[in-house]
Amino acid sequence: MIFKCKNCGGNVVYSPELHAMYCPYCEAKGSEERQEGSLGALTICPNCGGEVPVEAHTSATQCPYCDCHLIFNERVEGRYQPKRIIPFQMGKETCKKSIREKFKKCLFAPIDFLSEVRLDSMQGIYVPYWFFDYDTQCEFQGEGTKVKVWRSGNTEYTETSVYHIHRVLEIAFQKIPVDASIQMPDRVMDLMAPFDYGQLVEFAPEYMSGFYGEKYNMDAGEVEERARGRMRQDAERMLRESYGGYGTVRTLQQDIRVNRREANFCLLPIWHYLYTYKGQEYPFYVNGQTGKIVGTAPLSKGRVWAYAGTFGGCVMATLLLLLLLTCWL
Amino acid sequence: MGEDLKKEARRQYLKYFRVWFVVIGILVLVNMGLWLYRTALDRVPRANREAPAERVYDYGDMLTVEQEEELRAYIARKEKRYKIDIVLVTMRQPVEGREAQEEYGYRSPYWEQNMQDLADDFWDEHRYGYNKGFEGDGALLLDNRYEGQRGEHLSTSGKVEYAFDVEDVNDVLDGVDRYYDTDPLKAYKAYVDGVCGKMGHSMMSPGSILLCLVSTLVATLVYAASHMSPRLAEDTTRVNTYVEGGKPELKHKSDNFVRKSLTKRHIETSSSGSSSSGRSGGGGGHHRSSSGASHGGGSRRH
Repeated sequence: MIFKCKNCGGNVVYSPELHAMYCPYCEAKGSEERQEGSLGALTICPNCGGEVPVEAHTSATQCPYCDCHLIFNERVEGRYQPKRIIPFQMGKETCKKSIREKFKKCLFAPIDFLSEVRLDSMQGIYVPYWFFDYDTQCEFQGEGTKVKVWRSGNTEYTETSVYHIHRVLEIAFQKIPVDASIQMPDRVMDLMAPFDYGQLVEFAPEYMSGFYGEKYNMDAGEVEERARGRMRQDAERMLRESYGGYGTVRTLQQDIRVNRREANFCLLPIWHYLYTYKGQEYPFYVNGQTGKIVGTAPLSKGRVWAYAGTFGGCVMATLLLLLLLTCWL
Repeated sequence: MGEDLKKEARRQYLKYFRVWFVVIGILVLVNMGLWLYRTALDRVPRANREAPAERVYDYGDMLTVEQEEELRAYIARKEKRYKIDIVLVTMRQPVEGREAQEEYGYRSPYWEQNMQDLADDFWDEHRYGYNKGFEGDGALLLDNRYEGQRGEHLSTSGKVEYAFDVEDVNDVLDGVDRYYDTDPLKAYKAYVDGVCGKMGHSMMSPGSILLCLVSTLVATLVYAASHMSPRLAEDTTRVNTYVEGGKPELKHKSDNFVRKSLTKRHIETSSSGSSSSGRSGGGGGHHRSSSGASHGGGSRRH
């Protein structure tokens, strides 16, 4: 499907700044009209008829001929229909600004790293995520000691009291996110969190117009171990916090039981900037909602030598000239 | 495109270092100005014509005639450069006790007081001082080799007096002491170097240049590290990020006392004493000589 403007026929896209559908050609708001493509012809652009290269999991892309943003019904409906979505809150310009702000101190990055041309190649992608909910009951039993030391005259007394600790916590975990994309690096996608779930809305394909997207390409079962690991780690920490105050604690029994489990498929917004320098790729990911940036800038050896060398030279020259000054005074 | 980027890189580079370049330029200009000023000042002739030309009075017979000549030439060179009078007096004369006081008419029976008086009076009576004959700029080292009362006193006057603090006086005397018993000529040259070194205020030494190099290296490394790319990112989620309501529900909590144990330990007390080691000499306090002139300096007894 594509969204066309009722007024001018241009491709209507979702604007993160306006939080609405917007026609970049006639600047009309809310003028979109859904136009379906031909059934079964996934790779044919409904606007220009050009053949669009579509990868196995792509659910939204851009036609390389007419620049029209396409959304593939088969990959956003039925079993692939996301339950919820966080629409992009940051537009491309805002995202460029935050990347420039974050890396402005990286003097040793190549000169074109933050150039307009390079940053303009940034793509907004809706990444598929599974959200896991767990209702858990966590139980801990252990032996804790409290030590009291005091002094009377020349004698030091140490009193050690031993307690039996018992805690039962009920923890309801909600929406632990795990990306369901083979292409996206797991560690980076984990670092994209947290998202503000207050902006989760019912899925509508309109939000995808203007961006790229993927359907889930890993089942909930395939990725659940990551969510469970996070859940166990947090539950253990909360248990530990519940029996703080003891000098030492010896665990006798610890049990984390899952009473209810649910998994929901959602889409989350991420900007992707791929910078290539001397044949090596440097990917950057920006949380399209919060602006959190994940990625490391490349180093230009020439700039390292030029800047660090000049800095060292300047420091040395200044110190020597100051020393020389003392000869004349 | 490539040319534009290079031009932009050059512009960024010059803009970034412009403050450094300006500071270095100013320092170069100031150094040049001071160098010219010093050169002009070096041409100013000695103002005091009352003092004798002699600088080495070897009454203690510590140096050979050749050594005396060598030292005179050495002092002459330094005086010209640093614009101060540098005088050396050696002697073998008792300066301590009632007998000496009566025989030589000292104002006290004490070694330090008498050494100070002798040095100050010698300076004042000979009207030494590079710029003037009273309270003029310079220093005098009095070395007394009288058996059992050996030691030296450094008397400072004029700008030398005000430039020297206790530590500076001790530094000069330390230099002298290094060769005091082994090589008197070296000891007296150390005195001349010590006084001139302090007066020159020059911090340009191999040690300070090495320090500059090390500081530069450290500063450059810190600079380079601080401008590297920031880390990939940090995990900014909290332990309760995904917990409904932000906290768990505590269903059961009990802390039951099981047992208690008590141990005791005897604490050893120790008394500590302190000792101090004494060292003779030092001091750069200002005082007035019998002629009323202001002097500084200090003594070191062996």
